[in-house]
Amino acid sequence: MLQFKGFRALAAGVIAAAFATVAVAQAPLKIGAINPYSGPLALYGDEVARGYQLAVDEKNAKGGVLGRKVELVRGDAGNPQQGIAAVDQLASRDNVDLFIGTYISAVSNAASDAAQRYNKIYWDTNAVAAELTERGLPNFIRVGPNASNFADMSVRAVIEQIAPALGKQPKDLTVWIEHEDSIYGKSIGDIQKKLLDSKGVKVLGQGAHNFRAADLTDVVLRVKKANPDVWLMTGYVPDGNLLHKTAREQGFKPPVILMVGTGDTNETLDAVGADYLEGAMVVSYPRPDISEKFGPGAAAYLAAYRKAFNREPVAPQGLTAYTGMRILLETIEAAGSTDVDKVRAAAAKLDKPLNTYPSGFGVKFDDKFQNTRAIFTVIQWQGGKQVTVFPPEARGPGVALKNVPRKQ
Amino acid sequence: MDSLLHVLVVGLLLGGIYGLVSLGLNLIFGVIRIVNFAHGELVMLAMYGAYVCYATLGLDPYVSVLIVVPALFVVGVLMHRLVLQPLHAESSMQIFATFGLLILFQNAVLALTRGEGYSVPSKLAATTFEVGDIRVTMSRLVIFVALTLAAIALHVFLKRTRIGKSIRAVTQDRQAARLMGINVERTFTITFGIGAALAGLAGALLAPIYTLSPGIGGNFILAAFAVVVLGGLGSVAGAYFGGMIVGLVEAFAGFYIDPELKQAIWFVIFLAVLVVRPTGLFGQAGAEDVGFREQT
Repeated sequence: MLQFKGFRALAAGVIAAAFATVAVAQAPLKIGAINPYSGPLALYGDEVARGYQLAVDEKNAKGGVLGRKVELVRGDAGNPQQGIAAVDQLASRDNVDLFIGTYISAVSNAASDAAQRYNKIYWDTNAVAAELTERGLPNFIRVGPNASNFADMSVRAVIEQIAPALGKQPKDLTVWIEHEDSIYGKSIGDIQKKLLDSKGVKVLGQGAHNFRAADLTDVVLRVKKANPDVWLMTGYVPDGNLLHKTAREQGFKPPVILMVGTGDTNETLDAVGADYLEGAMVVSYPRPDISEKFGPGAAAYLAAYRKAFNREPVAPQGLTAYTGMRILLETIEAAGSTDVDKVRAAAAKLDKPLNTYPSGFGVKFDDKFQNTRAIFTVIQWQGGKQVTVFPPEARGPGVALKNVPRKQ
Repeated sequence: MDSLLHVLVVGLLLGGIYGLVSLGLNLIFGVIRIVNFAHGELVMLAMYGAYVCYATLGLDPYVSVLIVVPALFVVGVLMHRLVLQPLHAESSMQIFATFGLLILFQNAVLALTRGEGYSVPSKLAATTFEVGDIRVTMSRLVIFVALTLAAIALHVFLKRTRIGKSIRAVTQDRQAARLMGINVERTFTITFGIGAALAGLAGALLAPIYTLSPGIGGNFILAAFAVVVLGGLGSVAGAYFGGMIVGLVEAFAGFYIDPELKQAIWFVIFLAVLVVRPTGLFGQAGAEDVGFREQT
């Protein structure tokens, strides 16, 4: 690196033009971006890719990486088979140097495996399934948070924020854990149960439901009967919306609802309405409204997003993707290469404290290459808007927790 | 005791949802002997139809019934005329064709909406009644009433009107009906249209309850097939009471046992009924065999 800079200093005068020619002649550094860009999952796939694009544009404006322009090549994948096909195509036809991808864990699983066969890095920014890093795949690095972080953050919010707001000690607090019944919801629910038990919080029940169920009145009646202080809810958008609507219809308004993963978009606002949602909280990806101190550059990201796409962010996943891409580009620079071993070695050396990046992340990989300084944050619905309320240092200026307990 | 009554009401109202979705499916199945795999997608199209009526004309979904139901009748007629009728000699191909339509409808809606979940608000649908501790939502009550009225109307239509009689005639014996001067193809097309219109009614009335997604039809269709088989092929009463049974089983199993197990429980009952009474609770003996008779 030093030699390179020295060379550039020497060259600055007379052969600047020649150097520029060399830089231009360098082939671009191609990154294959695996995401669903068509089909039912495309909404967030596109959003994740917008995050990547912003980070790449920003870097290219400063001269690219290792003297090469960065080029994003999209690989459309909504299921594991397509994930493998997209990797095959990007590796053989487009000659990408490495891969970055997606929020769908099953796709990440298959695509990273396929990328390993080409001996290329798969840099995971948004998939949350815990087992992805458990595979010990040598090319797999996850820079974003995982499912157990969902559970951790939800329990932290219950203990540190919700219990005091309700004026209760954790041991006097009652909680109902509800989750959808696939491995995603169940794994989060089980960790929540374990953590809450260890803090002495009373878990009144742990229920599971199918996210495609035509009716969830039975679930709501069970929770209503248990009458918890806090209703933890993990699932997808349709079942979350149906639970809210059914609870409203059944006249059930628990003092606190804390959702995990979904429920922080307008899809939920449109379905449930601002009135019933008022005061409900969601553990999700950090949003651009977090304080500058918590996520330095979050405001700049929002401004760049609005300028580039002429709209408001669709979902917060974009900010996490943007941060993930930024960390990747920095890692490649540090490694001086996209070679798997060199990138891994460079990644292993990264040590940045929390609140370094726009999403509030820091970087420190554990031995399974899971970033231990990737986090979720908690928003609260206030007047039909999503406002980041937890951790407290993430709150923007003038933001306070409201409506805990929720008005009946 | 209170919760027992409450769960009973919840189950009956849920049965209304299943019954309404099954009614059209059962008619098509019972008369034309086509397993219409795209039935759930017709319900889905109707839900989006209600959304379009709301988004463009500002209509309440209950008003949009006046547009959506005739529109779905036309969709059904076209489906039968353009896709299913040309395949009438090969009944297994017709089943594949309905499966193809399922994929087509889902993906067309997917392409148009990009998978974003839509909601169709209705002030009326959200109102609730309280009787003691029991709360009933207008949206579900409307469905229950609509199912009851639609079932009675369909029954009267099949018994009393000329078209209804011709539908029953072709159900019993296509060849004899043709010899009696009944236009079998036209009868089938009209039947398919009515079945689709009933899916339209279900979709428009279900729209305020759910978050719309292109795959939502699949949420009901498994239950609807169970209702059809449980209640009896081609029987209006079968769809009605079959829906109630599935709804009640689901509500009781979900509340008293475990919401995770409720589907498993009603499938056990479904299998038991199949073993003990293969025609379904209200089906005529032998009705399930008709489809395999020579029908040309």
